[in-house]
Amino acid sequence: MSWFRQIFRRRGIYDDLAEELDEHLEEKTEQIMRAERVTRSEALVAARKAFGNQTVIEQRSREVWQWPSLESIWADTRFALRQVRKAPGFALTIVLLLGMGIGSVTAVFSLVDAVLLRPVPYPSPSSLVIPWNIPPAGIDIGGYAEIPWNPIQFRALEQETKTYRSIGAFQGGNFNLTGSGDPAMLEGAHVSWGFFPALGVEPEQGRFFTREEDSIGHEREVILSDALWRDRFHADSSILNRAIDLNGAPYTVVGIMPAGFAFPRANEMPGDFTFPAETELWVPLALPAVTPMFTPSELAVVGRLKPGLSLAEAQAAMDVFARRMDREMPAAKGWSGSRVTALQKQVAGDSLKPLVLMLSAVALVLLIVCFNVAGLLLTRSFTRQREFTVRAALGAGRLRVLRQLLTESLLLALARGVAGGVVALAGVRIVKVFGPKTLPRLIEAGVDLRVFAFAFAITLLTGILFGLMPALGAARTNLVESLKESGQKSAAGATHPRLRSAFVVAQVALALVLVIASGLLVRTFYHLLAADAGFRPEHVLTFEISLPSTKYPDRGTIARFYQQALPLLRSIPGVESAGITEAIPMGGATESTGIRIVGRAARKGDRPPIVNYTVISPGLFASLGTPILRGREVLDSDVLSAPPVTVINRALARQYWPNEDPIGKQILVPSQRIPATIVGIVADIKHSSLREVPGPEMFEPYTQNVWPSLALIQVVVRTRSEPAAVIEDTRKVIRQIDSGIPLAKVSTLLTLTSTAMAGERFSMLLVSSFGILAVLLAAVGLYGVISYSVAQRTREIGIRVALGAQRGDVFRMIIGYGLGLSGPGILIGIVAALGMGRILTSFLYGVSASDPLTFFSVSALLAVIAVGASLFPAHRAASINPVEALRME
Amino acid sequence: MTTDNSSRDLFPGALEMMILESLRRQPAHGFALVHHIQQRSNQLLQVEEGSLYPALQRLLKEKLVKAEWTISPSTNRRVRVYEITRAGRSHLEREISRFDRMLEGVALVLGPGRLTAD
Repeated sequence: MSWFRQIFRRRGIYDDLAEELDEHLEEKTEQIMRAERVTRSEALVAARKAFGNQTVIEQRSREVWQWPSLESIWADTRFALRQVRKAPGFALTIVLLLGMGIGSVTAVFSLVDAVLLRPVPYPSPSSLVIPWNIPPAGIDIGGYAEIPWNPIQFRALEQETKTYRSIGAFQGGNFNLTGSGDPAMLEGAHVSWGFFPALGVEPEQGRFFTREEDSIGHEREVILSDALWRDRFHADSSILNRAIDLNGAPYTVVGIMPAGFAFPRANEMPGDFTFPAETELWVPLALPAVTPMFTPSELAVVGRLKPGLSLAEAQAAMDVFARRMDREMPAAKGWSGSRVTALQKQVAGDSLKPLVLMLSAVALVLLIVCFNVAGLLLTRSFTRQREFTVRAALGAGRLRVLRQLLTESLLLALARGVAGGVVALAGVRIVKVFGPKTLPRLIEAGVDLRVFAFAFAITLLTGILFGLMPALGAARTNLVESLKESGQKSAAGATHPRLRSAFVVAQVALALVLVIASGLLVRTFYHLLAADAGFRPEHVLTFEISLPSTKYPDRGTIARFYQQALPLLRSIPGVESAGITEAIPMGGATESTGIRIVGRAARKGDRPPIVNYTVISPGLFASLGTPILRGREVLDSDVLSAPPVTVINRALARQYWPNEDPIGKQILVPSQRIPATIVGIVADIKHSSLREVPGPEMFEPYTQNVWPSLALIQVVVRTRSEPAAVIEDTRKVIRQIDSGIPLAKVSTLLTLTSTAMAGERFSMLLVSSFGILAVLLAAVGLYGVISYSVAQRTREIGIRVALGAQRGDVFRMIIGYGLGLSGPGILIGIVAALGMGRILTSFLYGVSASDPLTFFSVSALLAVIAVGASLFPAHRAASINPVEALRME
Repeated sequence: MTTDNSSRDLFPGALEMMILESLRRQPAHGFALVHHIQQRSNQLLQVEEGSLYPALQRLLKEKLVKAEWTISPSTNRRVRVYEITRAGRSHLEREISRFDRMLEGVALVLGPGRLTAD
């Protein structure tokens, strides 16, 4: 007989079997009646006793015909589905709760994977390093721990062929693209010829720069990013070997990079230096053959180590290199030290901290969810105790019950896995869209198979853990005892509620920790917003312009451009004031310089003080809304022929003239011959984030500046109404002076501030939403335990009411029970939150990790929620009818 | 699970052999088989229904026996009578000769020791 026919015949076989056994029992009964001369009912009892459990016989006889495991699994699954249909709310709650928990863990893990764990997307990533120059020990150069290299050092590094198989330098740059559509400012990088080979990438089309092209006079080649090629050149391959106009000069396109390649990216590099957000094009670095004196250190370096060389060995080789450089360049003794950082670590940067915060928050949520679900399953297993008992009495073996329960919980686990996957996908999407742009490699994040395997492992684990726990309890059930119990109060009833209460206490405690954390972060956020940043961000338009050196070769032509532009900008209707600066607030770090204070003898061995140094124009402070505290700002009359002037910030004034009036004092910047006289003091302006403590800063008028760095400048325009209204007029004004100059990075100061706050906002929103979820879960858990307890105590409450207890007493009793449950949870939570404070401290601003206001209000909030969760059960308890309650037995 | 013990008290296949042997002599239904084996073994072997029916199902599945519902002439009730098939007979013969050889072997191992012990 084929297995196929066997399946269809089977029902007949089972029917035969059942009938046969019935007949057998009947015959046996009659035999006993005849042999022992007893009544039929007595004989039937005796026959059953001798016969054994008919269900078991039937089941085992049936098993002969089955594929044992597979078929009983199918039967179990069908039964489990029937259970789910019987209590859909229960199944749905568990699937959604755990799905949420598992999904958020997976989403956060996906981010951690993308940002920290996954190797950087270059061949043999482990041998890629970024060696940074480090300043000599004990010398503060404006707080930088790692600095770029200067060209002399890079030339020497290129000779370190025992350490590096290939090495390349790179430096961010801006390029005005003209001649193909509207002029646009592109973010690019100047790279040495060894840059691409070091990274080990290949161009998608075309080629890389040759060594010859990386030299002055031959450097007019460009490699495009895939994004730029698609956006500006319509993905047209014929652009290869054609020239495009960059900064007014023709550059031949020699290559196009594969999609996704945009190294260096700002969020993968130290925040102190300027790199493109996404590099759009690369041109040869073309260092001059002879490096002039006072060449700034601006080169970042990427190297590929020789095969088999470890990071420590590379570091040791670089220490030898530093000693050699000290011998060769005694003037710069001590300035060639280095720290070799793995590219992987460099790219992850500081993102570890916010990710740890996210992971901790999400882990707490998952714990709460697990406690919550464990509580639900416990209660359910208790209410199903009678079912298990009856099934055991009818002949179900213990293993059979266990197996069936396990199937049921695995089925739910599977559903949770699916729900979790959906939540994870959505979560990763949300973070990618709304997450802070400072988080590196966000673009690579996605729920991949490994991450999904992680989620599924959690799913199975929770399924088996919380599925088997009640199952084991059920399997231990004493049949006789359980059947004797009415189901209202069972021996197990004493331990289960205690366990459930413990679960609820844990949930309340964990929720409190999360809500306190989010409370502290919310307060931090508002403290940051309220903190004095040194400028008023409302109604301020900002943009960047870059003057190409082909047309603006010296400071005279550059200054003339601004002299023409500023009055025109101010004359636009709706504009209140306009100014320019090298460094827009919230736009990143400024330049810095060593200074000498005139009339103050430098003690021997003292290093010159280092201060931030920013070139500005008249009208800048008014445009930013920065208060002038004393003296005056820079004026149009402060020209080259007039005595040099400077405006300093309050931090500088306090640091060097704590008890004197700095106005009239003089500061010498080493690159200038004549000291500048201090003419005014302004409020401290925060540059990189609202968190920072502003350092000393000096401002000089662009009309007196001799540094050639003014070709790239930030324009600040304060308007009377919406800044967007004047953008068109502004563009017209600039085009009027030079039609080849695009307005780049057009934004508002408000947007810049908000972008700078993105990371903070993200942490706050994330932890807060987890906090809200936690409170909801804890409330559900509390409600479950209290209403279950009310159901259990119906009889007791009935007796109380019958004996004269007032409704109000009953109501208060249940509310008290709820508070009694949440009280210990709140206390434990407070202790845990105090312990957690240390982790959180670095995220806080203007609020202590043990902020009493937050702790008190959050505890009060949870107490209120506990009362809220008990209200409905308490009302139900108070309306118990004693007659009905007592009749229930 | 402890329900398999009764058949394991003997050795694997013993119950099936006895069922087949009984059926070779005369077709019978379950109840009659229990009695037959009990009587033939001088009440030494008690066959439990819990073992008998699964064993019968195994034999049915392997087509060593076949079953048919009839009316018992003696008790006048509906009974399911089992009958040995040709495959069942040859299976039984093989099993018996294997059993004999095994018994022989066991006797050889136990024999001398028992002789000296007696």
